Amino acid sequence: MKAKNAFADDFESTLTLSNGKIKDLRIKAFEEFSKVGIPTNKDEFWKYSDPSVILNLDFEFNDTGSTDEDDYDVVLVNGKIVKSVNNCKTGTIADGLLEGYLDENILGYKENPFMNLNNAFAINGCYIILEPNTENEIRILNLITNEGRQQAVYPKFAIVAGKNSNSSIFEEIRIIGKGCNFVNSVMDFIIEDGAILEHTILDDFAEDTYHIANIWVKQGKDSNFISHNFSAGKRLARRDFNVELLETGANCELNGVYLVDGDNHIDHHTTIEHKKSNCTSNEHYKGILDGNSRGIFNGRIHVHPDAQKTDAIQNNQNLLLSDNAIIHTKPELEIYADDVKCTHGATVGQLDDKAMFYLRTRGINKKDARQLLMRAYVGEIIGKINNEKIRTEMMETVLERLPKGGE
Amino acid sequence: MIKIENLHVEVDGNQILKGINLEVKAGETHAIMGPNGSGKSTLAQVIAGHEDYEVTQGKVEYLNKDLLEMDVDERACEGVFLAFQYPVELPGVNNTYFLKSALNAQRKYRGEKEIDAMEFMDLISDKIKLLNLKDSLLKRPVNEGFSGGEKKRNEIFQMAILEPKLALLDETDSGLDIDALRIVARGVNTMRKKENAIIIVTHYQRLLNYIVPDFVHVLVDGKIISSGDKNLALELEEKGYDRIIKEAKA
Ligand SMILES: Nc1ncnc2c1ncn2[C@@H]1O[C@H](COP(=O)(O)OP(=O)(O)OP(=O)(O)O)[C@@H](O)[C@H]1O
Ligand SMILES: [Mg+2]
Repeated sequence: MKAKNAFADDFESTLTLSNGKIKDLRIKAFEEFSKVGIPTNKDEFWKYSDPSVILNLDFEFNDTGSTDEDDYDVVLVNGKIVKSVNNCKTGTIADGLLEGYLDENILGYKENPFMNLNNAFAINGCYIILEPNTENEIRILNLITNEGRQQAVYPKFAIVAGKNSNSSIFEEIRIIGKGCNFVNSVMDFIIEDGAILEHTILDDFAEDTYHIANIWVKQGKDSNFISHNFSAGKRLARRDFNVELLETGANCELNGVYLVDGDNHIDHHTTIEHKKSNCTSNEHYKGILDGNSRGIFNGRIHVHPDAQKTDAIQNNQNLLLSDNAIIHTKPELEIYADDVKCTHGATVGQLDDKAMFYLRTRGINKKDARQLLMRAYVGEIIGKINNEKIRTEMMETVLERLPKGGE
Repeated sequence: MIKIENLHVEVDGNQILKGINLEVKAGETHAIMGPNGSGKSTLAQVIAGHEDYEVTQGKVEYLNKDLLEMDVDERACEGVFLAFQYPVELPGVNNTYFLKSALNAQRKYRGEKEIDAMEFMDLISDKIKLLNLKDSLLKRPVNEGFSGGEKKRNEIFQMAILEPKLALLDETDSGLDIDALRIVARGVNTMRKKENAIIIVTHYQRLLNYIVPDFVHVLVDGKIISSGDKNLALELEEKGYDRIIKEAKA
């Protein structure tokens, strides 16, 4: 594959799957993508995560697959809805557009080429409308199954949280089977005035996978977006959050834990656009890196001239368990307003020797002491989940996945 | 119980302990006094197994085993307990969870089964009363935000739960108010049994009024320069280290 016409054949072959307005939007999106193609690490934004490696493989579009998982309200298999909630308005992205529940902008031009590429393949995907003044709890399974191919899948969600709605959305990304995956996923949130949306992502380790994910959030007046992101390493894993605080009084909280070991990789880029006054953002990401793994955290806070009385906090902490693990952490603050509180901090360290010694003098062996300290470290983030059921679940699942290293 | 012979210890190339000889038998309580920086905490940390301290000479026998060969946690499981001069804060580690993990680790080592939840709660509530600690401290992270005195009492609380054979108390009395001192002493005295031993590091004779030692040692510049009974502590209080050092040299 060549960078510029990458995925062109694939795109042509799926074009017949849609028509009319949707087809036009897809064609436009693919044109936008093709103008830049797949970026390389010469691009500063992709410095430590070179996506051009996917050009060495022959990924082919796939949206088939099945599952008998029943414990979820919405299930996508390889990007295609196989089950959806019946107490919310929901359907494919195409239907959402045609029926007027979604704005065309959802498939409009995005700065990130992978989002344009995702739009170009947005045949299936899923929209959910959370009606104003309602309370909702939705469990989503975003399943990638592979029967041994080199497959490209494009999961897409568009979620609109209506005025003063209060919802908790749990999304599990599970990658199973054999073969190699290029997963290009997008989740769009529109959070209307006064709405509260808590979003928890759980994703597991997957070896033969290149995963590029974009979570794009637009927030209205006095709305709250609370994100908890538990992510694991992949051959290449890049997850971007872009949160726009578009009206006054909007608040967002981005919490995250990344666990990575072996030869794996994990990259988070977050951007918070403070566009209006009296908005707050509070970001806290913690990583544990073992083996030869590599992690990247890039946190950008952009305070626009109109965003007086902004209160922004950013904190990134990292534990390196091995000498060969690497973390690149970088805050990027751009502040164009003067009455602003903005703090950031980044730390990189090992497990605290003093704490290890103290625990061991009480009879706890090295391995258990390490686990105990890691649990405490990660537990601080999990403890921020408001939804009790999900918090309890994450306490079990995420803590189970901590590196087990004995040394 | 523990026999220390000619113990030399270095840290970062500095000689701190320069030939310590000390034997503590089961049933005994020993006090170690000495000026700041003389090596008291170093001795306590070496016995507990701190890896930053390098033993360059000498040996330590504990219950007929080579203590220096044992891992930190193994020593603890064999009954060695150190109450820290500066207890460590463990953010995010719940105090009760921590106590239960420690107790169960030691029980497992001894081949016993895990303590059941009811039994554990009974044990906790017993000991928390003994140390007059607030229940709320149990729900908090270990030592985090505890007051100085609470930290010290928490050390003795842990000791009361773990029931060690050899307890090393490093300046447990510093920072305690008069009532707390009595409470801590009461806690310590409950573990004075003929099968246990205690080593108390302190600067103040006052504590020794409550926990009366069988022996008092004066540690100066990495060596024990003088040993005696409880009266040595009174003498120290009266004369100060300078004169004791001079007399020892004479
Ligand atoms: N890790 C270390 N690196 C360098 N020097 C050290 C280290 N630990 C202890 N020392 C030095 O060893 C000496 C003995 O210290 P130690 O803490 O044992 O004294 P102490 O008798 O307990 O004093 P205090 O009464 O003040 O508690 C001091 O001079 C101290 O600075
Ligand atoms: Mg000391």
